[in-house]
Amino acid sequence: MSNQTPNDNVLLRVEDLKMHFPIYRGVIQRQVGAVRAVDGITFDIKRGETLGLVGESGCGKSTTGRTILQLYRPTAGSVHFDDVDLVHLRGEEMRRMRRKMQMIFQDPYASLNPRMTVTDIVGEPLMVHSVATGKEIQDRVQHLLELVNLNPSFASRYPHEFSGGQRQRIGVARALALQPSFIVCDEPISALDVSIQAQVVNLLEDLQQQFNLTYLFIAHDLSMVKHISDRVAVMYLGVFVELASRDELYEKPLHPYTRALLSAVPIPDPIADAKRERVILTGDVPSPASPPSGCRFRTRCPIAEAVCAESRPEFREITPGHFVACFFAERFL
Amino acid sequence: MITYIIRRLLLVPFLLFGVTVLIFGMLQFLTPVERSALYVRDIPKTSKQVDGIILKYGLDKPIHIQYWRWLVGTIDPVTGNRTGGIIYGDFGWSRTGSQPVVELIKTRFPNTLDLTLWAVAPIILVGIWLGVQAAVHHNGFIDQAGRMFSIVGTSFPTFVFGLLVLMIFYANLQWFPPGRLSTSMQAVVNAEGFRSYTSLLTIDSLLNGRFDVFIDALKHMILPILTLSYISWATFLRVTRSSMLETLRQEYVTTARAKGLSERDVIFKHARPNAMISVVTLAGFTVVGLMGGVVITETVFDYPGIGKEAAEAASQLDVVTVLGFALFNGFILIIANLVVDILYAVVDPRVRLA
Repeated sequence: MSNQTPNDNVLLRVEDLKMHFPIYRGVIQRQVGAVRAVDGITFDIKRGETLGLVGESGCGKSTTGRTILQLYRPTAGSVHFDDVDLVHLRGEEMRRMRRKMQMIFQDPYASLNPRMTVTDIVGEPLMVHSVATGKEIQDRVQHLLELVNLNPSFASRYPHEFSGGQRQRIGVARALALQPSFIVCDEPISALDVSIQAQVVNLLEDLQQQFNLTYLFIAHDLSMVKHISDRVAVMYLGVFVELASRDELYEKPLHPYTRALLSAVPIPDPIADAKRERVILTGDVPSPASPPSGCRFRTRCPIAEAVCAESRPEFREITPGHFVACFFAERFL
Repeated sequence: MITYIIRRLLLVPFLLFGVTVLIFGMLQFLTPVERSALYVRDIPKTSKQVDGIILKYGLDKPIHIQYWRWLVGTIDPVTGNRTGGIIYGDFGWSRTGSQPVVELIKTRFPNTLDLTLWAVAPIILVGIWLGVQAAVHHNGFIDQAGRMFSIVGTSFPTFVFGLLVLMIFYANLQWFPPGRLSTSMQAVVNAEGFRSYTSLLTIDSLLNGRFDVFIDALKHMILPILTLSYISWATFLRVTRSSMLETLRQEYVTTARAKGLSERDVIFKHARPNAMISVVTLAGFTVVGLMGGVVITETVFDYPGIGKEAAEAASQLDVVTVLGFALFNGFILIIANLVVDILYAVVDPRVRLA
């Protein structure tokens, strides 16, 4: 994928991105290892597209999102946004780029500063980037609140006076304030009630159409990802194991891990549910501080062979636009 | 916000009642002879005099009547004069001070307040600054040095540190003397022309235009301030640091970074204000502690504040004076608590609903 011809339609290009968190031990705090939260991922996102990113807890989904936005500085690799390499941007240049890329956080309770009113929270980005001043900020905030279906008269209230869903919509309004082109949605609905999840997802979809937004949608709910994404990537232990268009991935999964994940999604039809073949995974996810040799998934893989321990399978394009990191991907074609 | 303040204010009478009951309860451990100091100057010498006082001031009456009389005093049926009555500000006679306890407080408390006034800023501001620096440079050199200092600071006794600085800056260098004022300056203050506006020496001297007196008063306070700061910094550093570290891990701090704020704004506009919530309590009680008189520091530096006087009274078993001070201290504590509670609401909007 990295040797693809440059495409004007590509908004974000991530190449061999690595984020290793060092582990320090002992009296002199020597580095004894690293948690390889993200260990070499390559992909791109087109303008106006939603890329879904799924995987188990602790597989590096959130780290991927944060590293792309440079909230963590990557250990290696590059992130090109609008053909600007973010990895080497510092200080003022980086701050200016942040106008174009925002993030919606998982926990709407923790991600809003409890000491600031909604106006301050939503309006602060406008102020620090000198987009608007004084009364104009107020007007913009009112408009943004209307946009996310919140009563504009709530602007002078504090976050603790809102429900979870309302808070998440404040978070969305905040992310939209600077009219970004790219938003990382880091499990934006996981902390919400099921009844409110749909509200927020529909809002995100409406806004995407209205402003031609590009999303990286991180989640562990496969059906929600299927609903919102154009393409879906599956992550396991810091690496991508499969990346394909939504329909392709859900109908013809090629990686044994994806197949296991999909077979675990409940089907609301007991007869169909009883008939289908379940792939049950055994064992736990290995520690990202000492991942297995060769293929990351081999310790839990139902079809692993000797070769899987020897070398790391290449993330290769099996059919056009369908990437899989497995030696035996063709078996499921 | 207004409702919150009113509700806090409604609590005050109950707290005042509690404090008086507590102090009155402690007075009951004294013999009637000792308790007579609440009402008369001279300790009764013969048993006949004692009996007279017990009868006159109702010290043989049931406890609730005694409490009431302690509160409002006793009216002499013949002359109509009132004796005692703490609500009228009569806390009894101080044997050690040879004057009414209230008069003693009136002369000593301004000195303590003066010291508090000048010590508060360095203690709180520098303490918080140290804590924030340690947290921002977590595990770095500043943090390690700060932690080291905080351990030494909390474990080094005040009187040792106080004597040490007294030895260096007074005995060896002769820079900062103990006491309140130099003899020559005391003469200026005692002279006719010097008017007392506030009883606080530093402020009065400025209002009288006597800059030399002001400097002299400050010079006498520097060592006590240094000692007080040194021990408080350690606590402030620890509390601010841990609170700040916790806040820096919060997601809204990441949100602030994602918004594109500079690291400076992230720390000082988002993290620090939130970290202050737990520091407000500490700051409040530090100020109360200072106003109640810092016994050891005032004694070491011979500073004529309320703490030194309390220590003297205690060493001479002048319980009426000690309890009078305790009562006064209780009142200050209640007011300070109120201020801290209101500050809480200012600092943390979530409290306003509570």
